[in-house]
Amino acid sequence: MSPLLTIDDLSVTFARAGLLSRLVNPFPLPSFNVIDGVTLSLMPGETLGLVGESGSGKTTLARTILGLVRAAAGRIVFEGRDVRTPADFRAMRRRSAMMFQDPVASLSPRLRIGTLLTEPQIIQGLPMPDRRAVAKALLALVGLPASFVDRFPHELSGGQARRVGVARALAMKPHLLLADEPTAGLDVSVQGDVLNLIGDLKRELGFAAMIVTHNLAMIRHVSDRLAIMYLGRLVEAGPTQDVFCAPMHPYTATLIQSEPIPDPRRRSQNPAVTGEIPSVFRRPSGCEFHTRCPIARDRCKTEAPTYRPMGTDRMVRCHFPLQTGGQEREAFSRASANQKGKLT
Amino acid sequence: MSGSLAASDLSVRYETPHGSVHALRHVDIEAHPGEVIGIVGESGCGKSTLVTALANLLPANARVDGSIRYNGIDLAKLDARRQRLLRGDEIALVSQDPMTAFNPVLTIGDQLVDFQHHRKDLGRAQKRARIAAMLGRVGIADAELRMDCYPHELSGGMRQRVAIAAALLTDPGLLIADEPTTALDVTMEAQIIHLLRALRSEYNGIIIVVSHNLGVIAELCDRVYVMYAGEVVEGGEVDAIFHDARHPYTQALLACDPARFHERLDRLPTIPGSLPNLTQPPSGCVYAPRCACAFAPCGSVAPPLVKLSASHRARCHAVTP
Ligand SMILES: Nc1ncnc2c1ncn2[C@@H]1O[C@H](COP(=O)(O)OP(=O)(O)OP(=O)(O)O)[C@@H](O)[C@H]1O
Ligand code: SF4
Ligand SMILES: [Mg+2]
Repeated sequence: MSPLLTIDDLSVTFARAGLLSRLVNPFPLPSFNVIDGVTLSLMPGETLGLVGESGSGKTTLARTILGLVRAAAGRIVFEGRDVRTPADFRAMRRRSAMMFQDPVASLSPRLRIGTLLTEPQIIQGLPMPDRRAVAKALLALVGLPASFVDRFPHELSGGQARRVGVARALAMKPHLLLADEPTAGLDVSVQGDVLNLIGDLKRELGFAAMIVTHNLAMIRHVSDRLAIMYLGRLVEAGPTQDVFCAPMHPYTATLIQSEPIPDPRRRSQNPAVTGEIPSVFRRPSGCEFHTRCPIARDRCKTEAPTYRPMGTDRMVRCHFPLQTGGQEREAFSRASANQKGKLT
Repeated sequence: MSGSLAASDLSVRYETPHGSVHALRHVDIEAHPGEVIGIVGESGCGKSTLVTALANLLPANARVDGSIRYNGIDLAKLDARRQRLLRGDEIALVSQDPMTAFNPVLTIGDQLVDFQHHRKDLGRAQKRARIAAMLGRVGIADAELRMDCYPHELSGGMRQRVAIAAALLTDPGLLIADEPTTALDVTMEAQIIHLLRALRSEYNGIIIVVSHNLGVIAELCDRVYVMYAGEVVEGGEVDAIFHDARHPYTQALLACDPARFHERLDRLPTIPGSLPNLTQPPSGCVYAPRCACAFAPCGSVAPPLVKLSASHRARCHAVTP
């Protein structure tokens, strides 16, 4: 089977933005790779979870795939065809949908919810005999009362408005779904509905999905494969269960350890990782995770690790990957336990 | 000064063109110095309404009934000026998005000096020294340098630390954090959880943490109130809530959290149905339309608050002590 979507060595470059920072820093700044050499593929019907913290470039990557951001280098192949020109991207976008990260901000404050929900289909020219009924069905889909059709966005709580945004995107029945934080701001009781719904629609229509998220607890249950991003580069990829059970990159292990556990009898002893997330504008030397890595050694500070295969279906970018029974794994557990009491 | 807080029979309505939204109904909560109280519940259940009522920051279209007593004083009985004074000095609210709490065109240092306007006894230099110490305490390295930064020059995690520092600078008896980690990445969230935990050991006021994230509540709180559709449906020690939940809603909510399952689930558990319309709350139990245990009285008779132990309560017809 050939992949539905292939991304090969994709890079995206931004010039350092902001007048203020340019005034503060008078030297002409070169541009920066916010996405750097990302290679991944998506099989038909597959769900890929793209996981990373804010600033890791997940959203930019998703937007680049849809042609909303221009790539500086690399290749995108969709359904066997190179996607290069604006016309190529338009053709691809007609067969795919993006669920944006912040639908709340995109809800026009003066339109009623019923209108907002059916607007995209009307714009696409889809026939709709009963707009109110469609809107009510969509509200039911995301667990909101039908009476909300007459409400305005500002009359909803943060989470309620978020659901309206999700309903709006799902109404388009996409072929390839690029979902950016599809459940951020949703309640757990509704998050499941939305994800089950995406799953049902996926089975029915056979589309593939790429879910961009920082929500590990959720992505664990809905993705077949995971790719972990840090500062615009993939640091690890593999089948979801394998990555969760035996993370190889210390960053992945850190993410998993940082998740709060909903059990007061198993409170975490200390933060798994300290320090701030660095910026792509000031990439640390060597391995970019070395500034926060609990097992970093001298080599990590100077030499950048390559993104290399481990076994048949996993990739990792680390000089000292954590392996079951290996000394790195032990060192990781020891090091993250040693940070007890430190605040930062 | 730090004292106990008790809200009793507290109700809040929002007047809107489509009718009154009964956002909070007959809520009883109490909190004592040294305690970390969790308010957990899903979107729209009234968590923010409850804490904004406590902080006296409700919007103009809100109508409040019931009483809030702080340190034995009924806040409604104070005149407006004294109420403002008391709440301004005693109650600090850290909101979900700390960016909105700061003025974008003033440096962090200048704003934190202003936060201490009640300390007439301190000069500017002393105030700046307090700020530096407080920033250090919330884990900000190079505090002196950071004071000259503008809010947008700080990361989300750092802004949340500064917001917590700002709140603590007013020496509040009650610190309310409304979704303090929701806007943060998981590694930053873990750090803020540990910060709040470290702070509580030195702070002897009340901390109220509002969150929809059961993990955050389990990590931080001593006692928890679970809210649904404007009511507190269950309250108790954190261990009782997570290991001996008695209200059907609390049980369903816990069962939905994907963080509790490590094996891949083909379908994520959900709670069927939707929130009741808060302009016409159901006459019986608010959870009845979605409750798997509902029986005869649930649709028409409001359930009693059943006492299960010294601190554990659940509002349900099906619960017996
Ligand atoms: N200013 C307002 N006018 C009218 N209704 C409002 C107003 N603010 C909130 N509401 C309604 O009151 C109810 C409670 O809202 P509130 O913001 O307190 O919930 P919440 O638990 O904080 O939710 P979230 O988790 O989404 O922040 C909701 O039904 C909401 O739609
Ligand atoms: S009172 Fe009835 S409907 Fe309400 S939670 Fe209890 S059993 Fe369910
Ligand atoms: Mg809220």
